Amino acid sequence: MEWMTFLVIGLIILLIIAAVFAITQKDLILAVIGASAVSVVLSILFYILQAPDVALTEAAIGVALTTIIFVITIKKTKRYEE
Amino acid sequence: MTIFYLIMIALAIIFAAARGLLGPTASDRIVALDSLTTITTAGLVLLAFFFQRYIYVDVSLVYGVLSFVGVLTLARYMEGGL
Repeated sequence: MEWMTFLVIGLIILLIIAAVFAITQKDLILAVIGASAVSVVLSILFYILQAPDVALTEAAIGVALTTIIFVITIKKTKRYEE
Repeated sequence: MTIFYLIMIALAIIFAAARGLLGPTASDRIVALDSLTTITTAGLVLLAFFFQRYIYVDVSLVYGVLSFVGVLTLARYMEGGL
């Protein structure tokens, strides 16, 4: 099962890249997109580690609910951070 | 043969993530996130086939519906509505 280890390592590298992208953006919409990408990669990771119920909850909360709440908040405040 | 399919899907995830990381505008990154979630749905079905646990397909079913809602919210914000 060594290729599964390579898959998990590649996904963790992608997770770190997406997280750094999310926290270094001045445009807050891009930060929301980065947080959503983190949620997508984390969901695949939970799925590979044989926890499909956690992956289901992560997909429901991270992709849909968090994105909608953050976009509504950005709409009511400012888009660009000083 | 399943490993070959998994390698192709990993390649597709890498290209979509590169577009999301390099994309000049926010719309490019939203489309990259949408394609990333679609590729992820296909990959989860393939992993369910690989693990021989057909109850795992439900995760990708919920995932397809909810990722559509998240990307729809972001697109509606870019249009100026919401």
